[in-house]
Amino acid sequence: MTATALVQSALASLPEIVVIAGACILLILGQVARKGQGHFVVWASIAVVLIAALATAMLAGEVRPAYAGMFIADRFAVFFKAVFYLATVLTFLLSPRYAEIEEIGISEYYVLLLFALSGMMIMASATDLLSIYVGLELTVLCTYVLTGFLRQQRRSNEAALKYVILGSVSTGIFLYGVSLVYGLTGTTQLDGMAAAVTGNPLDPGLLLAVVFIVAGLVFKVGAVPFHMWVPDAYEGAPTTITAFMSVAPKAAGFAVILRVFLNPLVAASDAWIIVAVIAVVTMALGSFVALVQDNFKRLLAYSSIAHAGFALFGVVAGGADGIASVMLYLLIYTFMNLGIFGIVIMMRNGDFSGEVINDYAGFARSHRGLALLTLLYLFSLAGLPPTAGFFAKFYVLVALVERGFVVLAVIAVLLSAVAAYFYIRIVMVIYMREPERAFDPALTPSVRATLAVTAAGTIGIGLFPAWFLRLAQGSVFGG
Amino acid sequence: MGFPLLSLIVFLPAVGAGVLMFLRNDDAVRWTALGVTVLDFALCIAMLAGFDTTTHAMQFTETRPWVPALGITYALGIDGISALFVFLTALFGWICVLASWVAIDRKVKEFMVSLLVMQALMLGVFCALDLFLFYVFWEAMLIPMYMIIGVWGGDGRVYAALKFFLYTLAGSLLFLVGVIVLYFHGGRTFDILALTAHDLPFQVQSWLFFAFLIAFAVKVPMVPVHTWLPDAHVQAPTAGSIILAAVLLKMGAYGFLRFSLPMLPAASVYYAPLMLVLSALAIIYGGLLALAQDDLKKLVAYSSISHMGFVTLGIFALNLRGLEGAILQMFNHGVTTGALFLFVGLIYERTHTRSIADYGGLMQAAPVYTAFLALFTLSSMALPGTNSFVGELLVLSGAFAANPAVGAAAVVGALLGAAYLLGMYGKVALGPARLGAGFKIRDVNARELAAILPLAVLVLWVGLYPKPFLGIIDASVKHVLTQVHSKGGGQ
Repeated sequence: MTATALVQSALASLPEIVVIAGACILLILGQVARKGQGHFVVWASIAVVLIAALATAMLAGEVRPAYAGMFIADRFAVFFKAVFYLATVLTFLLSPRYAEIEEIGISEYYVLLLFALSGMMIMASATDLLSIYVGLELTVLCTYVLTGFLRQQRRSNEAALKYVILGSVSTGIFLYGVSLVYGLTGTTQLDGMAAAVTGNPLDPGLLLAVVFIVAGLVFKVGAVPFHMWVPDAYEGAPTTITAFMSVAPKAAGFAVILRVFLNPLVAASDAWIIVAVIAVVTMALGSFVALVQDNFKRLLAYSSIAHAGFALFGVVAGGADGIASVMLYLLIYTFMNLGIFGIVIMMRNGDFSGEVINDYAGFARSHRGLALLTLLYLFSLAGLPPTAGFFAKFYVLVALVERGFVVLAVIAVLLSAVAAYFYIRIVMVIYMREPERAFDPALTPSVRATLAVTAAGTIGIGLFPAWFLRLAQGSVFGG
Repeated sequence: MGFPLLSLIVFLPAVGAGVLMFLRNDDAVRWTALGVTVLDFALCIAMLAGFDTTTHAMQFTETRPWVPALGITYALGIDGISALFVFLTALFGWICVLASWVAIDRKVKEFMVSLLVMQALMLGVFCALDLFLFYVFWEAMLIPMYMIIGVWGGDGRVYAALKFFLYTLAGSLLFLVGVIVLYFHGGRTFDILALTAHDLPFQVQSWLFFAFLIAFAVKVPMVPVHTWLPDAHVQAPTAGSIILAAVLLKMGAYGFLRFSLPMLPAASVYYAPLMLVLSALAIIYGGLLALAQDDLKKLVAYSSISHMGFVTLGIFALNLRGLEGAILQMFNHGVTTGALFLFVGLIYERTHTRSIADYGGLMQAAPVYTAFLALFTLSSMALPGTNSFVGELLVLSGAFAANPAVGAAAVVGALLGAAYLLGMYGKVALGPARLGAGFKIRDVNARELAAILPLAVLVLWVGLYPKPFLGIIDASVKHVLTQVHSKGGGQ
């Protein structure tokens, strides 16, 4: 690699370099800092993310391939990176008070989140199965550790263990698929695969490879049949980490899925049938099992499975609108899901866990504004207008119908009617039951800021979706 | 584009709701809500004054791009059909505020906010000229209505609210898919007028007809998807029941008129016999169920199912008399049944019972109340001289022209109506007093009279001189009929 190429590559990956370098520096500074002065790590971490965001924005103008075809900085990656930055910064803002209450106030927490962020950024930009793998592993290794961060709690340990074991298996499956692809096509680059594939459309070996790669990726987004870890990991992890995992790594998983499936392979195989089946089953399972949950975090875990299913419908639709619909869906989901998690996190105070749905009885009586916010996020998750959640679903349905998958669209809406039930059930508990206890939410300024941002996103995108829609459509690769 | 009158009418209640959020005193909340709704009504009267009855074209139109990439616009406008319902919605806006004045004594602010938001959304439904916009209003209505039933309703409110929510949501979501299919077949636009002008193949029309039918039938509600209605009506607070009866039930029929008939003419003509049979079934079945009720509110609720059967009957008779009768009957049902729910609410506030068997001899205790009750009961059973007579007569003559057997069945339903309504009135108002020995209740006061009087005036006005009301809708109805028959075949 010549020096110019190296400089070009470094430039293209400047945001990743910023985040990783920042994380390394903070790792050291965090150790040096005296006890009780750890707060600067939060603000320093946010600053790192903002600098990376600035670098990303400056590079957004043109497409920059880098590292000999392993990596690309294009508008598609920029869109996803923006989602990751948003999710990470909001997670940082939600964390300090919660970390204090749970006694996990050490700097590694923030550093690990930064490393996870860099992994996701690599995933969004990867154009080679190997760089995808690097990003993927960097992300999940950090989330494994973060899931087990409540060391004194048994369920946190259990969650981490389950997550690690199942995650390693899925990684193995993914790598096996990659090796098959390499064996059959002689390349791991996505473009190279596309070229190899077009001449030989119905190779059963390739189909098998596709199945393995799908399986590996499907694990990361928590879709059926690799969803088993989701409820346990989500319930056991610190709630801030659950909030983070439910949006950012999931979006990263979708970024990879979109790049892998809608670029080279879809022309070669009937992979969309597999994805369609996965989407239907995922949504059905998530929606129906969520009906019987009493634990808020577990319910949100199943809800996130159901949402992953809905987003997969956008993948099935394919085409420019399909890709854009998934991207918009993930952006909107980031706002509304971090919002509802913000509420759950805020509730954790003193001896109050904020995790049992019935504990929210009569919340509207004492905290009108917060109850109204909860209502907003829940109705948005249920997909009711005029919230953003409705537009997210609407656009996926438009993409589906555009490609003639009307039956899938009907299935999707019927399942969302089922899903609406459990969100409405929480509204019912909040508004229609008598309070059983006094509420004392841990409402710090930074939590307030998070709730304000997520609420603005949830309402704003719902009322004025045009700009965000154009952004998503403009960020679709090749379109 | 001129003065955005329709936007003002639609969003004024929403702005009012925003203002209410900052008020602390319950009385201030009540008066502000009343002020906002009266002002909205006044704007609505101004709109009607400037309304041109000679044309079927959309008036007071406003268009702004909203999501250009998908062909979505913010488009409002009204024709004669919408004008009537905008008027009805605005009228019941302040009547609902008056009806909840003392009946709602906890979380007054939240209630009035829900009420005003609800009104804004309902007005939006009738004014929207873009399908996406229409759907946003249509679906968002679920949220405040769910809250109104679920928070301020009776003992079984949570179940009733949930049932209402899930029934209508499931129906509307299928409608949404239908809308998107229509979007792609109709040239990638959500513009209602453009879609109306578009010709679709019969098979596509058929599928869409049933997708729309499910959504609209749930809202009407038609048998057999009517079961949410009695629950919702019985559990809802008075204002909630009034909104349901007066406006919400009209949405389904309005959907048939605005979408099914003009956009899917061939399918509408083809499936009209099915719809006629379903309507006759609703008329008779609803009537029989009403006959068997002892709960006042349930009786009125089931009578609604029967009365809305007349509306769908008139619509799918697909002739001028049927269609004009149906629309007039929608209006009449709103006025009369809205009033009846108001009356049930008034008596319930005083006695805390709704069982017909508990009453008797109200005429001595509350003469003004019973006198007005008589008027609305007679209107509900379509006595000549009242509004419903005109509407029902038109519907029946339209139905006989379309299909004599169905018309005959509808007449049986009308007789059933007389039976349960007269029976109810006899037991409640006449005879000796039964509610304990010292049975004394307060007669209607001035505030309540203010809510009742305009409705009573409308009952007699439409009954004795329906011409202005038919005049408003005439041009638009004729236009809908031309659209159906020129493109859909039939008569």
